[in-house]
Formats: sequence, C-alpha cells, structure tokens
Amino acid sequence: MGKTANLDIREREEKYINIQPIQAAGRLTADAMKAIIAYGDGYSTCDLCLKPFRLDFIKKPPIADFYTELAEFVNMDVARVMPGARRAFQAVALALLRRGDIALISSLGHYTLALAIEEAGAEWREIPKNEDNILTAEATAEKIERVKRENGKLPKLIAMHHFDYQYGNEHEIREIIKIGHEYGIPVLYNGAYTIGVMEVDGKKLGADFLVGSGHKSMASPAPTGVLAMDEEWAKVVLRTTDARGDITGRKFGIKEVHLLGCTVMGAPLLGMMASFPHVRERVKHWGEEVKKSNYFIKEMLKIEGTKCLSEYPRRHTLTRVFTGGFDKVAKTHKKGGFFLTKELSKRRITGPFPGATKEWKLNTYGLTWEQVRYTANAFKEIAEAYGLRVE
Amino acid sequence: MTRIVDELFAALFALTDIRQLMRETKPSYKLTEEQRKFLEKKISRVRDSLDVIEREFR
Repeated sequence: MGKTANLDIREREEKYINIQPIQAAGRLTADAMKAIIAYGDGYSTCDLCLKPFRLDFIKKPPIADFYTELAEFVNMDVARVMPGARRAFQAVALALLRRGDIALISSLGHYTLALAIEEAGAEWREIPKNEDNILTAEATAEKIERVKRENGKLPKLIAMHHFDYQYGNEHEIREIIKIGHEYGIPVLYNGAYTIGVMEVDGKKLGADFLVGSGHKSMASPAPTGVLAMDEEWAKVVLRTTDARGDITGRKFGIKEVHLLGCTVMGAPLLGMMASFPHVRERVKHWGEEVKKSNYFIKEMLKIEGTKCLSEYPRRHTLTRVFTGGFDKVAKTHKKGGFFLTKELSKRRITGPFPGATKEWKLNTYGLTWEQVRYTANAFKEIAEAYGLRVE
Repeated sequence: MTRIVDELFAALFALTDIRQLMRETKPSYKLTEEQRKFLEKKISRVRDSLDVIEREFR
C-alpha cells in the first residue's frame, strides 16, 4: 500500500469489488477525479467571482449554468448545491419550522432529518412502517390525524424518502405527497437514494422540495447534495439577508440566509459538475442496474439460510439480506463473523460490514455484469467451502 | 515554457483514465481488445507528456 504524506492511499475501488451499501453510487467518474486534480485548491472556484458575489452567479467555471441544469434535471424551478442532503434538510427545517411545531418523518428515516427538525426547535414524529417495511399513504394520513387530535394542530412538514436507506424499499411517495397536500402540509421528497441513479421528476411527483445526495447517488465527492424547489418556496427557503450592522451599517447583498451564503465550493462542487453529464445519462439505465441487483439476490438466495429482507423482486440496488448459513458457520469458526470478511477479501471483494454474517446490506450499483456474476459466484463458492448447501 | 503545465495535466488525466479502467476491470484486470487499445493510447500519452516535461526542464 502506498502513502501520500502520512495517509494510506485508498485503493479499495481499484483493487476490490466494493458492494458497501452507501458507497456504490457515489463512486467518482474519471472526469470527477480529473476535476479534483485541477480544482483542489481552497477557493479554486472563485477566480472570477464578480458582482453580485454569489457562488451560483459564477460563469467561469460554469457554475451558474450547472445550477440551472440541475434544476432542469429534477424538473424544479430552482436548485442549489448543498453540503450533503443533511444540510438541505436543515435549510428547509430552519425556514419552515418554529418552536413547538411538529414535523413528520418516516420510521425508516435518516437521523439527520430528526436533528434538523430538533435544531429548528420543532418536534419530530414518526410515521409507522407496515409489516413489509413500507411507508404508506394510509399510515401517513392516520399519523396526521393523530397529531391533530393530540396536539390540536397539523404537522408543518412531512419529509419522506422514495427509497429508504435501511432496506432500499420503495415507499408510496406519490400518494404520501398527495395526502400531505390534501391537509395543506408541504412535503419534502428525500431522494438521497434516487436522484442521480434514476429519473426523478419533481413536478410530476408534486413535491414541494426535492433533496438529493451528491456523494451517495451522484458520483460526487463529499460533502455534496441538492436542494430543489419551486419559485414560491424559493422565496421562503432561499430568502436573502436584509439585516444591517449596527456600527458599520454593513449589508451582505444577496446572500441567502438559510444557506449561509455560498455553499459548496472548490473540488467537491467541480467534481459534482464534472460527473453531471454522466449522471444525466446513467439515470436512463436504471432498469439495467435493477436487473443486476435482482440477478445477484437471486443467486444469493440459492445459499442455504439466505433471505432477502428487502422487498423482492428488487426495485433498487441497495438490499438488506439475512445470511443464516454464514452466521451458522461464524458461530463455530475461530474468527467468528470475520471469516466471511476474510474469505471475501481473498477474492478481492469488500463492502459487507466487517464481521457481519447475520443481517447486512449491500449495493450492486455501478458494477459490470462480469463483476456481479463474479461476486455472486464468490459467495456461493465460500458457502460450499464451508459445507453450506447451494442450490 | 508553460507547455510543461499542459503536459503535466495531460499525463495526470491519462493516468486517471487508466485508473478508471482498473476500476472497471477489477479484480481480474482482463481487458477486451477495445480496452487494450484504449490503455495503449493512454500509456503513450503519458510517455509523450513526460518526454516533453523532461526535455523542457533540461
């Protein structure tokens, strides 16, 4: 392993097939890697930052155009690049919620949503999942009614994922948005696992806000994300400063308060921009990615004791599995659960949580068919080597 | 003299393309005929750029 300064070089993506659940769709394109080489310096994006001195107005490099294209990509009026989906949740929560307000999130929702709501002084309540780990419109309506009954007021915001991060299951997002609107509640579409891998049309969905993650699903460096909305919500969430210094009388032009002015600059932004043409193209091939995911899970299910804990057939490339057979082996193996990690590593496969043999997640996104087949065969080969039955 | 800068980036970018090729063909790194041609082109680009840089610095 080589070193740069005192850091080991990260060569996981060059040496191993990586099925780690959250890393798959954030792997960079070659163009993004090149952009990072060229734009690594701190304020590299700001060589030609002219009046009105705001990131999204910069024409060279073409950041202004990118922002416009990003909004078009998700079919919303306005888009901003954010330092991760979490900062987008935060901006919306700070703009919409006040102390004592209630916001609804999924019981499979990401913790950063809960923190964003807490930071705004509001409270979060969870919409329950059903026995199939799916969030339904019916459960959403019931929760809204319950909040109304118990608190005498409606929730101020609903934040819902299209596909969740725990199972990669598809939820009733369109219907949930509709229910929210029937009660007059704005809905934030959490597309951390959709925007950048599949086609997402904000207007068709009817969402008030779209949030995406660059480093999870847009082949971008961290921290990057997207926040998109229509013109009306932009007046609220992207409001500009109107305060003035009491001594100096200073004003800060058109800086957006909830975004703390300029957001993502330098290498992360340029990396995201460089990957964007590829991302725009790759969303058209989502069906093929889902086919690979289904093939892989189908092969895994041939191994004794394996169950797919996510909905099946798969509609996503992120999947939670139960591998009872491997867990049985781990119970008597001197390395415990690490036997599987080691066996996979010998075959140049990485990604499952180290030491996990019972329940774990994987993601096949972006692997070639050859790599998918190789990985599936490797699991079956390991199973056979340890005396597990393989169909 | 600034040509050395252009050549430096050309070499780094060609190496990045090779890096990407490794990512796409791991763990066997077996190349198709098309990939092999692509690799040869990139290696030759790196060599040419390094030759220019060496020459210009001399």
